[in-house]
Amino acid sequence: MTSTLDKLYAILRRDLLTAIRHRSGFIVTLVGVFTELAAFYFLSRAIGPGFRPDGVEYFPFLLVGTGIYTFFVMSAQAFLSAVQEAQQTGTLEVLLTTSTAPAELVILSSISAFSGSLVNLLIYLFAGVAVFRASIHANLLSCAAVLVLSLAIALAVGIAAATLQVAFQKGSALLWLLGSGLWFLSGTMFPTQSLPRPLELLSRAVPLTYAIAGMRAALLEGRSIMAMAPTLAVLAGFGAVLLPLALAGLSLSLRRARQNGTLSFY
Amino acid sequence: MDRIVFESVRKIFRHRPALFNWLGRERRGETIALKDVSFSAAAAEVLALLGPNGSGKTTALKLISTMLLPDAGAVRVGGFDARRDAGKVRRQVGIAVAAERSFFPRLSARENLDFFATLDEVSRGERAQRIQEVLRDTGLEEQADILVMKFSSGMYQRLGIARALVKRPSVLLLDEPTRSLDAGTTAHFWATIRALAQQQTTVVLATHNFAEAAAVADRLLLLHRGKLLADRAVGDGESAEEMRAFYFRMTGEIEEKICNL
Repeated sequence: MTSTLDKLYAILRRDLLTAIRHRSGFIVTLVGVFTELAAFYFLSRAIGPGFRPDGVEYFPFLLVGTGIYTFFVMSAQAFLSAVQEAQQTGTLEVLLTTSTAPAELVILSSISAFSGSLVNLLIYLFAGVAVFRASIHANLLSCAAVLVLSLAIALAVGIAAATLQVAFQKGSALLWLLGSGLWFLSGTMFPTQSLPRPLELLSRAVPLTYAIAGMRAALLEGRSIMAMAPTLAVLAGFGAVLLPLALAGLSLSLRRARQNGTLSFY
Repeated sequence: MDRIVFESVRKIFRHRPALFNWLGRERRGETIALKDVSFSAAAAEVLALLGPNGSGKTTALKLISTMLLPDAGAVRVGGFDARRDAGKVRRQVGIAVAAERSFFPRLSARENLDFFATLDEVSRGERAQRIQEVLRDTGLEEQADILVMKFSSGMYQRLGIARALVKRPSVLLLDEPTRSLDAGTTAHFWATIRALAQQQTTVVLATHNFAEAAAVADRLLLLHRGKLLADRAVGDGESAEEMRAFYFRMTGEIEEKICNL
């Protein structure tokens, strides 16, 4: 029998081969990373060293905020694009007739989509530190804990977008919300304490806020796991609720699409 | 025991107009794709599904493969219900769909087959050998390592057949499998179908090609507007012409030859 690991390897290999054979896309991504970092670097210089949100320099603050935010959006986008492309080419129907259960297939595919974004995030952070001299005081264990818990939430977001895509052919609506509404509520570019009180309260209901705050504390301030326990607990709570909900929603929408014959509608 | 059982199967597609369709002519409605269709197929049997466009042939194949679920009635494969035990049904079924581009364009034919074989749980030890076999059977050995984005329609179609065969399914579903194939490949493919039947594979073949049905089928099912008009054995030595005459007699459609007179 083929194990789940074999299947994961097959999906990762497919996505890696597709990415590297799309040479121009790979180069454009790299150029995009450096352009974005340069823009934030010069923005922070223009604002000056006096602005220290949460007690840290502005450029590292921006580096982590935009890095984690982009990780969330890119991951969900990559997964949604894979589903949309599979619908357009007819691959989705064929994939769902293989011996692999749809839920297993979705989780493995999303892990692959998220691995690409994770590599992108690591390149982004590394370039920010190595090229643009962002000062960090990392606690690697805390960073890993925040990343793993954030990944579970990002997976849920990606699967929810795929659910909307299969059910209503409108997966991009969730990404639009993520792209337009959440970036300023989650403290990506400025502390959430700067928001008016009602919006600040709203920002506490956004999982991305905790992912960004957690990564800043772990990467820029070197806080220990114990010191970060409350943030990690909130992230774990969001993951524990959102991930099963998203999976149940996708399972329901796939069944409905099979019943209605709309699996390949896009 | 019958390997495929269709029991009073009904499939309806409901259409809802787009949200902002005030100026358009699209209306709410439904299409009954299959109306209480019943048939069965045994191991080692080759069934040809004949019928005009929109008669329900592809819908029947999709129901067997679990791509679609029935609205009423039951579909069973190898004793498992397609609704309740979809996973067990999928393990037995291989399908070659008419959509040519259902592959990953930046992977080669071999890489695509390896990917789908892995998801179909073909063990790592057997995969390479099986892929080589199906590439040979479909005449794609020389193109095995070319990215499929460079393939022609016929090559896509061969690859679709190879993908269906690589899992060695006990039920093989083929939707117009030779539509874009050249004469030599078609003849070889028909021989492959007969060989698979001798190895106890049940084959269901949706086709518009009477020569194909006459060459490979043991039985033919004739669908028309979602209804099963005929379910009969293919006679010994029955020709494509005889089958064609039967088709037009049953469906009441006017034969092209007559129209041209």
